[in-house]
Amino acid sequence: MDIPYTVHARPDTGLYNAKIGVWLFLASEVMLFGGLFSAYIFLRVGADYPWPVHDLDVTLGFINTVVLIASSVTVVMAWAMLKLRKFGWYRINMAITVVCAGVFMFNKTLEYKAKFAHYAVKLSDGTFLTGHLPHGYLVKFGDVTEFAITIPVKNSAVTADPVGYVLPYIEEGMAPKFKTEDGKEVVLDKATFAELRAAALKKAEAEKKSAGTFKLTATAPLKIAAKPSEIFGYTDTTITFRDGTTATGKLIDDKMTLEVDGIDARGVAQPDNSLAFDHRYLPAWQKAFVANREHHIAEFEKNYPTRDKARSATLQKESLYFKLHSATPPEVGAAHGEGAKHGAEAHPPVAHGAEHGEAHHPTVTLEKKDITFFSNFTPKLNTYYAIYFTLTGLHGAHVVIGALVLAYFLVFDNKRLKQDPEHLANRVEVGGLFWHFVDLVWIFLFPLLYLL
Amino acid sequence: MADNVEAIQKSIKWYFIIGALLILFSGLTVGLSYVELPTHSLNIIVGMILATIKAALVALIFMHLSHERPLIYKVLAFTVVFVLALFLLFVFSHGDPLEFEGMYLHNE
Repeated sequence: MDIPYTVHARPDTGLYNAKIGVWLFLASEVMLFGGLFSAYIFLRVGADYPWPVHDLDVTLGFINTVVLIASSVTVVMAWAMLKLRKFGWYRINMAITVVCAGVFMFNKTLEYKAKFAHYAVKLSDGTFLTGHLPHGYLVKFGDVTEFAITIPVKNSAVTADPVGYVLPYIEEGMAPKFKTEDGKEVVLDKATFAELRAAALKKAEAEKKSAGTFKLTATAPLKIAAKPSEIFGYTDTTITFRDGTTATGKLIDDKMTLEVDGIDARGVAQPDNSLAFDHRYLPAWQKAFVANREHHIAEFEKNYPTRDKARSATLQKESLYFKLHSATPPEVGAAHGEGAKHGAEAHPPVAHGAEHGEAHHPTVTLEKKDITFFSNFTPKLNTYYAIYFTLTGLHGAHVVIGALVLAYFLVFDNKRLKQDPEHLANRVEVGGLFWHFVDLVWIFLFPLLYLL
Repeated sequence: MADNVEAIQKSIKWYFIIGALLILFSGLTVGLSYVELPTHSLNIIVGMILATIKAALVALIFMHLSHERPLIYKVLAFTVVFVLALFLLFVFSHGDPLEFEGMYLHNE
């Protein structure tokens, strides 16, 4: 069956059917993104933290804006060229459009990747330190010998599974062997655990207990290393895994090694005395921080003598969110003397050939008790990054789907191109309308997330 | 509709002009975002006005909405009304819900 009115307009609507179809679809797409933009407004109005402005990579965002605009021009040109029956030019324009989509998504990947690897650590006084975790962040236990395993008799959300939840975190090459309570020596695997489990459950049922328990003792002391997110919790002497298994041992290390590239003291009552400048952390940077703050306040007073300093979010950010560009503090005064350099954005010369990340930022070892919260720059960090990933992720999905549709017309619709170019022109117009909509969404996303 | 050959040939020039204008406006948006206006809300308003102009250019020229059939305008009229309603929803959350007329729960 042929779908009617794909080439010529339907008399009553004056449009070919696909065009009405795509506009109805775009109307619903407007509502979809409209709902998310509405969520953005709610989150921003209700945010209890300084809303990030210019925190994303503006250059990368601007390049992507130009790329999308260029692809919008080429997709409408592809349609026009098809209408004029200049098939060669149609192909070239369409190919550029698809390549632009690829470039856009490539840049997006770079941006996302950087966010996943970048961390913000909230200290107990409200200071945020931003930076990278060169060795990841692991909680390490030593001298671990005893494992207490609890198996609920009734079905429960948590059920003991030491094979899946404990063994992966025992340091490699230790080949752990365990002694059961009756002195048998076993290697823990699925089959052995199933036997032990069945025995424990049988015993619990006979004693009318709600859970079966048994202990395993390692034949040699083990070492355990796990990310805090991979375990349930720990104290100085015990570590509880996510399956409820508790091991006793000795906490060796839960300090966090952070390569600091920013000190955000906007949430601290006395920014100068932020915990970041504690003698254990970055005391040498206090001077530079204060100098940078004074510099920006003086600049603001000079440029806007009538304005209220306390009400400028930009000034708050410039004066209290200090960026570190070197391993040691810059010479105070040198950078600000003539006001030639912009605040602390001075880059002292770095030894040529220095390993990236080592010479650029100071490294601190944060004690667990000073850390209230930490996260990479993902939705977990705050509502800004939540809506950022939701909006740009959904937009990115639209870019991919739009590019697939246009690439299909380019690669697989050659028969139609030869036999019925008018029909293909209509298809390209409809695909192009969707592509323009994708550009339209980005026109609002770019300023809202990157600039304002 | 600009479906005849001459009309399309004429509009090609415009597609490139609009594309250049869009890039220009984007650059302007970036530049103005670094200018400290009296309040940040003003920055947001200026940025959104520029974005709306850009969106209008894309919709009118690239999406051919400057010369479209009435049916499509009718569909879009509904969309505009509902999406604006969505954007204004936050107004309901803006006031303090614990504050009623003649009765203030906080001390003044």
